[in-house]
Amino acid sequence: MVSLQRTIRSIRRVGLREWWRQMQYIGDAKSGRFVGKDQFGNRYYENLNPEEEVPGRHRWVDYAQHDYNATQVPAEWHSWIHHIRKDAPTEDRVMQNLSPPWKAPWVENLTGTRGAYRAYNTVRPKYEAWEPKSTPRGGPSA
Amino acid sequence: MSFARALVAAGPSARLAAGRVTASRSLALAYRWHSTAPRQQQVDPLVSNKPRDYLNPGPPIRSPGTETATYSATNEPGKDYDPYKDGPSAIDKAVHLFFFTEIIRGMWLVLEQFFRPPYTIMYPFEKGPLSPRFRGEHALRRYPSGEERCIACKLCEAICPAQAITIESEARLDGSRRTTRYDIDMTKCIYCGFCQEACPVDAIVETQNQEFSTETREELLYNKEKLLANGDRAEAEIAANLHADHVYR
Repeated sequence: MVSLQRTIRSIRRVGLREWWRQMQYIGDAKSGRFVGKDQFGNRYYENLNPEEEVPGRHRWVDYAQHDYNATQVPAEWHSWIHHIRKDAPTEDRVMQNLSPPWKAPWVENLTGTRGAYRAYNTVRPKYEAWEPKSTPRGGPSA
Repeated sequence: MSFARALVAAGPSARLAAGRVTASRSLALAYRWHSTAPRQQQVDPLVSNKPRDYLNPGPPIRSPGTETATYSATNEPGKDYDPYKDGPSAIDKAVHLFFFTEIIRGMWLVLEQFFRPPYTIMYPFEKGPLSPRFRGEHALRRYPSGEERCIACKLCEAICPAQAITIESEARLDGSRRTTRYDIDMTKCIYCGFCQEACPVDAIVETQNQEFSTETREELLYNKEKLLANGDRAEAEIAANLHADHVYR
């Protein structure tokens, strides 16, 4: 991972500023082809040269947020970075054709925040609390 | 002593045959090296394929006669074979023993690995490969028109081995039957994928999302709205995976 030659090569390619950012987040100097950017600003890179990147580490994401999280990757890029799809969603004709118009916006895993999912019942409850109804005394029957 | 070793080297058949066959025959037998002998049965007269002479069976099988006990030290088997001929010499072995070369070679292997790039994948920046058939978080899908697919046939509920799915259904105003409750207890689910196998309309699927960990247990009790929302936001990925796999289904 930390080879001096590899670090120097990556710094010369991406520049000192980008290298410093990489060291703060990925913790490794990486350089490769810029593949695309999703709607949240996460940037995706790829380096298919096995001399420069160990195979298996050849696709990576640079998160836009400081508080990064694996679920900030939307579903289309999720299948790219997990090596499920060969092509990025910007070039993948199949995924573009199969995207429906009613596709919902991606939300990350919001557990632990106020936006977390809370389970609720989607049907009317089977039993209800007893509602006391009393007939006033001295009514018509008396 | 040498006599006993000759018998052991020749195997148990020679012990039986020693009284019957001539001394020279048993000597030749005894000189065979045990590991290089092709098959002992080939020289065993008891199991030869010649017809057996029942009228003249020869001397009875007894303990080996006295003439086989007259071996001298030159007849000791294995003397013409040096088992250390092809191996390292005693000095070589002593050098490796006293200079700990095996330990140093083992430590050198560790040192080589120290300077090699590791195979560690830096999650969540890099991720390992997943199959399009990966079974992760559940989702309910819709038709391309936006109509929900689930028709409340309850096959998934029936096949679920963990009994994690609960379905209730009612007829809608337009007469089609849909679910009113589709609950999956994700803490019960064993992610076997039987529900998506059983579904006749590909409504319930397991997406490739594996990052749905929660801080409380209640967040894992999914209802229909949550499952439909999962399908709505990941529909492109689900459909692409089903398309990639459709030739094998």
